[in-house]
Amino acid sequence: MNYAHLHLLLNHVPVIGSIVGLGLFLISFFGKNEDLRRSSYIIFAAVALVTIPTFLSGFGAQQMIKGPGVSDALINRHEGSALLSLWFMELTGAIALIGLWQSQATAPPPRWNVSAVMLFSVLTVVLMARTGNTGGDIRHPELRPGAEATAAEPTTITEGTIGAFIHKFEPDPDKFSDAMTFSKWWWTFMMAAHFLGLILIVGTVGLFDIRIMGFLKQFPIAPLHRLLPWGLAGLAVNIVTGMLAFAGRPENYIFSIALWLKILALLLLGLNAAAFYLTDVFGKVENLGAGEDAPISAKLIAASSLFLWFAVITMGRYIQPLTDTLLGTN
Amino acid sequence: MAVPLIFNTIEQSGISRWLRESQSIFGFYFILLFHTIGMSMVVGANAVVDLRILGVARDIPIHPLKRLFAIMWTGLGINVTTGLLLLTAYPTKALTNPDFYIKLSFIGLAVFIMYRMNVRVFGDSSLSEAAMVAKGKIMAKWSLVFWIGAVGSGRLLSETARYFFYGHPAGG
Repeated sequence: MNYAHLHLLLNHVPVIGSIVGLGLFLISFFGKNEDLRRSSYIIFAAVALVTIPTFLSGFGAQQMIKGPGVSDALINRHEGSALLSLWFMELTGAIALIGLWQSQATAPPPRWNVSAVMLFSVLTVVLMARTGNTGGDIRHPELRPGAEATAAEPTTITEGTIGAFIHKFEPDPDKFSDAMTFSKWWWTFMMAAHFLGLILIVGTVGLFDIRIMGFLKQFPIAPLHRLLPWGLAGLAVNIVTGMLAFAGRPENYIFSIALWLKILALLLLGLNAAAFYLTDVFGKVENLGAGEDAPISAKLIAASSLFLWFAVITMGRYIQPLTDTLLGTN
Repeated sequence: MAVPLIFNTIEQSGISRWLRESQSIFGFYFILLFHTIGMSMVVGANAVVDLRILGVARDIPIHPLKRLFAIMWTGLGINVTTGLLLLTAYPTKALTNPDFYIKLSFIGLAVFIMYRMNVRVFGDSSLSEAAMVAKGKIMAKWSLVFWIGAVGSGRLLSETARYFFYGHPAGG
């Protein structure tokens, strides 16, 4: 398997996933169905997570197909489109997570949250469709309009009305990369923020995990659980700074096995969170008081969370020394 | 100012060379990894205590937070150890960089507050929660400021180095 395989495997998930999420959300909105709305929120959050490796693998796929017979202009347009739709997908996922957090006790989330999910999920679907479409054009001349279809490497691109409008908001990928790396102060700011995010995650999620595992039993569970939004804020900071740093120096990251193991650990953390919140495990621990022991199922989930975060940090640290580990495998 | 010759002596020593040049996964980056883990323990635990004192998650009982200081001191121990090893690997690079002393000052101030908070706020178990919050509020604020300063100046180190090695100026 190579990056092109990986990108092809993943790249339909954000497009179709956001459409399915929006479909469920609209049905729940007009049918006033809370369970369905929750499901749509979970789908948005999950798709936002999978969109991260989809975006990353695109850079690897680009390295592979670059050359004669492939239009740089089309690749650039797709990359700019992905750079825009990515943030809308992540934002939709984040707002959905906030909504899930606020409606833990089966109550509907506040009205602003529902309106924000409505707005951003619609925008995300449109932008993702554009990203999928521009990506398809790279290798499928039969999809291109008019004159472009006959040229193997079109250097000028004709856009439809909607495409031309969206294109105004799409960043130029090369300029975007340069903007991330031009100043050592900006780069340091991003890296420092990435570390502070890490500290927030370890401080809050780590504390919650070790309490469930049976240490520090003087603490009741519920108040520690209320610290988790700080950890999620740290995660949000780290997704943003991580993706910006990646977009700035993709060649420093993309060929490192450690980057992909880090992403794998993050995806497994998503599954781990699902095993905690979407089963009866959370219900069994949320009201435990000081001194009370959590069931073994909860302890296992907490231990794997702690292990996976350790793996995320470890792999993050080893990205640099393992930079070229994947170069030879293409 | 001349760079002291002792830096060169350290750099040429077996342990310094091994730390820098070993291809083993347990070499330089392993030390750096545990420097990061130690940081997340000391700053992560301290930040939770600071935030609680400043009014976040008010239903967390304050007295048991005393137990978190053991995590902080352990993390600090890891980081002093790994920090000395990193310094052994690159003495010239670190000690000729003014930012290194800024980082150490931030850490010194943050650890001083951590110690005072451990003694003054958490050392007296007869204090009520309200009294602990009142005593710890200013310390908690400065603790967060100094730790953010320490992390920020730490990340800036690689960007501000004047020398890579003894006799090898950065950018030259």
